[in-house]
Amino acid sequence: MEARAVLHALRGLRGYTRSPYVWAASLLLVASPIVFMKLGLPFYANMVFLALMYGIAAMAWNLMQGYTGLFSLGHAVFFGVGAYTTMILAKYYGVTPWLGIWAAGVLAAAVGFLLGFPLFRLRSHWFTLATIAVAEIFKLLFAHWGYVGGSAGLQMPIVGPDEQLYYLQYPGPYIYVYVALLVLLVELVVLYAVVNSKIGLYLQTIREDELVAQTLGVDTFRYKMIAMVVSGFFTGLAGALYAVRFRFVDPFAVFDLITISTYIAVAGIVGGIYTFIGPLVGAFIFVPAAEYVRATIVQAFPRVFGLHVVIVGVILLVISLFVPEGVVGYLQRRAGTVRSRG
Amino acid sequence: MAGVGLGDIVASVVDGVLIGGLYGLVGVGLALIWGVMEVINFAHGDYMMLGALATYFLATRLGLDPLLAAPVAFGLVFLLGVATQRTVINRILDAPLLTQIAATFAVLLIIRYGVQAAFGPYTRRLSSWYANEIYYLGPVVIPLPKLIAFMASVAVAAVLYFFLFHTRTGIALRATAQDREVAQLMGINVHRMYELAFGIGVGVAGLAGAIASLFYPVFPEMGAFFALIAFIAVVLGGFGSVFGAFLGGIIVGVTEAVSALFIDPALKDVVAFLLFIVIVLVKPTGIFGKKV
Repeated sequence: MEARAVLHALRGLRGYTRSPYVWAASLLLVASPIVFMKLGLPFYANMVFLALMYGIAAMAWNLMQGYTGLFSLGHAVFFGVGAYTTMILAKYYGVTPWLGIWAAGVLAAAVGFLLGFPLFRLRSHWFTLATIAVAEIFKLLFAHWGYVGGSAGLQMPIVGPDEQLYYLQYPGPYIYVYVALLVLLVELVVLYAVVNSKIGLYLQTIREDELVAQTLGVDTFRYKMIAMVVSGFFTGLAGALYAVRFRFVDPFAVFDLITISTYIAVAGIVGGIYTFIGPLVGAFIFVPAAEYVRATIVQAFPRVFGLHVVIVGVILLVISLFVPEGVVGYLQRRAGTVRSRG
Repeated sequence: MAGVGLGDIVASVVDGVLIGGLYGLVGVGLALIWGVMEVINFAHGDYMMLGALATYFLATRLGLDPLLAAPVAFGLVFLLGVATQRTVINRILDAPLLTQIAATFAVLLIIRYGVQAAFGPYTRRLSSWYANEIYYLGPVVIPLPKLIAFMASVAVAAVLYFFLFHTRTGIALRATAQDREVAQLMGINVHRMYELAFGIGVGVAGLAGAIASLFYPVFPEMGAFFALIAFIAVVLGGFGSVFGAFLGGIIVGVTEAVSALFIDPALKDVVAFLLFIVIVLVKPTGIFGKKV
């Protein structure tokens, strides 16, 4: 019984708050920006930021894939909407990103709500394909929408030192690690509550067999919608973090199939989609690896393009063929906290 | 809408049919793979790109006429397809959906960005003696390369039809699509059929790429667009139906071309994607829903 195995794992996760490993990891995360700043290693601090950003999105994505069985390759929609929302609010209306980040989540959630109506009529890979198509539509529309800067995108103007806090503009990646950690903390609490409530049970029932769930009286549309809206909200937050950190948003970057939708999904798959924390761990494995490879290849072969994505592909292929339960799932199975799926 | 006359619409329909034949050809391969193995090949468009790139190199380096290079491109992509089937697809035949999508998507990443790393992200254009030939029929403008592409697409689809319905191997392939177990009992080597289906499926996509290179720029990411178009064609054609997919491609081509008259031509792809979503919503079984 797969659902029961997952439930068992989730119950075990409560122990995580007492685990010394979790405390050690948290401490490392909180200390890392300071350490990297003192050592003058912005590249590594940026890696931590990116891993957090993708981890936040991958955990949100996993609420749909891992818990509900809805495989989205279009999460760039939420990410992009979140990035643009924060950017537009700050640039055009002078709204501080401290508020803009959450507004981004709300708007991305609203987009998820609206997309649910057409998308939930689709099953399996047709759902996946439609999510790709939707993200492509958003990319093309944003590229032709003059208000949001068209294909040139939007750039945040540089502000003076007295407005740094208000506009969240600091040199280097260091401060942004803490902003991302704040968002992650909120997400961990909310997602943990969701998946450990009856909503989480219903979602997993839908994943195992939607028809059976319906027969049991579960309003599957409603619960899939909840998964989509919550997932959209936190993915929107990740997009907002991107806008705040890089101060530049353009449709080809934030609605990208590869570096956004695919990276998010690969982080989730590498970490383990049937676990709660897996996608975050996956992001910390996959994102630094991809970033490191990318930077190294760019340095070694400045005229070679795309080789790092090939390596991303190989990682994805190997994981999906040989370790489909992902790294965390594999470790949990080895540790005996969870039985093998299937 | 003001400024759009009947002549323009006729011209667009003709243009749409011409390009639609190519869309259909990409879709045909996808439908064949889906029909026989129930595997969705997310990397489909990238095999097409490989066919286009192979044709480009054969034409520019060896001086081969693109239309003569096309069968060679088919052969190369066919072999690569058989290799993919043996190494990847075979392992995911009965795997959960996530694995199927993730694995073929990984193949997409490896092909698309492998090509980009090996040959650069450049856009290449093929020139031929007929590249700039244009025929005029009243308001209808017919560039010769597009006409040749359409005729070649129809010819390939016809050959595939003959193969599937009038050869022993083709019939065995269709039998496998209908019922794997029964086909096996009848002495059909099912795994050989899978290799054949995947090889032919992506090979035809490669052939479509070769044909596209007559008038379409060749670049590593060209497959992304064509893959989505092929999926739309397959949905229109009703999933398993190979020839429904061809017709579906023509419908997509016409829809795109006509809608370009009324909105910003740069947004015509949005119309195609919207068409996809609308079709799946309205008639999830496709317009011509039947098996292979």
